[in-house]
Amino acid sequence: MTARRPMLLLALLLAASTLPLAGMAAGQGEANATNPPPAASARVQHEDDENARAEGERRFHANCGRCHQSPHKLPPRMMATIVRHMRVRATITDEDMRLILRYMTQ
Amino acid sequence: MLPLSPNSRRSKRRFFAALLALFLAPVVHAQSQGQDSEAISPVPVFTMGTGFITTFEGGTPHLGPLVAPLILVPVGQKWLFETRGTIEADLAPPPGSDDFKGSAEKSVDYVQLDYIANRYLTVTAGRYLIPFGIYNERLYPIWIRNLQTDPLILPIGGSEYGAGTGAMVRGGFDLAPRVELNYAAYFSAHSSVSHMESDRSAGGRAGIFLPGPRIELGGSFQHLLQEDRTNSFGFHFEWQPPPVPLDIRAEYARSHDGSGYWIESAYRLSQSPVWQSALRHVQVVARMQQFYAGAGESDEMADVDTNQFEFGLNYYFRDDMRFVSSYGRQFSPDGNENIWTLGLTYRLALPLWPGGGK
Repeated sequence: MTARRPMLLLALLLAASTLPLAGMAAGQGEANATNPPPAASARVQHEDDENARAEGERRFHANCGRCHQSPHKLPPRMMATIVRHMRVRATITDEDMRLILRYMTQ
Repeated sequence: MLPLSPNSRRSKRRFFAALLALFLAPVVHAQSQGQDSEAISPVPVFTMGTGFITTFEGGTPHLGPLVAPLILVPVGQKWLFETRGTIEADLAPPPGSDDFKGSAEKSVDYVQLDYIANRYLTVTAGRYLIPFGIYNERLYPIWIRNLQTDPLILPIGGSEYGAGTGAMVRGGFDLAPRVELNYAAYFSAHSSVSHMESDRSAGGRAGIFLPGPRIELGGSFQHLLQEDRTNSFGFHFEWQPPPVPLDIRAEYARSHDGSGYWIESAYRLSQSPVWQSALRHVQVVARMQQFYAGAGESDEMADVDTNQFEFGLNYYFRDDMRFVSSYGRQFSPDGNENIWTLGLTYRLALPLWPGGGK
C-alpha cells in the first residue's frame, strides 16, 4: 500500500503535466485542420497587418490631425513615450493609442 | 516505509525536478505566446518647440525668440512625468530709440505626474495646463499654432496664468461605435510661487469626437474660488473634413471680464493640380475674431470691443520646421492697426536613454 502511493502521485503528476501539452496538441490539431496551408496563412497574416496598418493610419490622421500636421515617424521607444503623452494631453482613447503606436512603429 | 539511501533520495529529487520542469514548460510557453508582441518599452524623451518670430504692431517691430523645452519620463506601463517650460523675449525699441530693449520671461507651463488608471481614467497631479477650450492645452505650442498671435479670448477660463496647481482627472473612451467622449475635471489651489503662480479654481471640459467625419464639439466651465468668484464658460468646435486637407477650428468663451469668439480655417495645398511639388508644402490660414469687453478689469484682455482678422501663409520645409508669416488688422475704439508676423518655427525630439533612438 505504501509503495503504491508514490506511484499514484507520479501518475497524477504525469497526467497533470501532459494535460496542457495534450490541450496544445489538440488546439494545434484543430488549427491545422481549420487553418489554410502556409502560403494562404501568410497571405491572411499579411492582410491582417495591412488592415491594422490602414486602421492605424486612419486613427492617426483623425486624432493627431485635430491639432497639428502629421509628424514623421520616430524610433519606436520614443514613439511609445510620445503616444502616451498624447494619450494624456489630447485625451485619445486607449484603443486609438495602441493602433496609432502600431502604425507609427511599423 | 523503508528509509531511503542518500543516493536514492538525490535521484528522487532530480526526478521530481525534471517532472516539475516538464509540468511548467507548457505553462511558460503558453505565457510567452500570450505576451503582447507590440509591447515597446518607452524611454525618456526630450523635445522642444522653438522659434523666432518678428511682429510688427502698428509699425513697431518686436523681436520674439522663444524656446519651450519639454521632458517626458515614462515610468512602468502606467505613469508619465512631464514638464514644459517657456523662455521668451519681447525685444522692441523704446520710443525715440533704435536699440531693441526688453527682458526674457520664464515660466513653468506644467510639471505633472500622470497615472493612467484604466482606459477611462487618468489622474494628474502637480501643475497642469487648465483644460478650458482647445487653444490653451492643445494649440498653444509655437510649432503647432497656425497663426503666431494669441486669440483675444485666450485668457478667459485659463485664469491669469493658464495653469493650475492641484489635481485633475481626465480621459477619453468610446461612448458608442465611432463616437468618442473626452473629458477633464480639475481643482486648482492658489499658488504664489515665482514662475508657477495659479488661482484657486475648479472646472472642466467635455467633448464629443466623431472620428468618421472628424468633428469635435465640446464645452468648458470654470468657477473662480477667489476674489469675485466669477464663472466662465465656453464652447469649441473642430472639423477636419477627411477628403480635403482643411482644418476648421472655432472657440467661443464668456466671462465677467469679456466674451468673444474666433474661427480659423487652414488649408494645406497638397492637392493642388499645379506646381504640386512646391505647393504641397504651403498652408494658407485665415482667422476672424471678435471680442466684447466685459464689466471686469483684466490686464490680460482688451478693455474695449475689438475685431481682428488675419491671413497667414506657412511653408513647411519638413513637418517639424516651417516658415510662418501673417498679416492682420485690428479694429478697436483705441485705434486701428496692422499686425504683421514673420518667423521660423522648429521642433526637435531626442531620446534621453541609451538605445532610445533605435
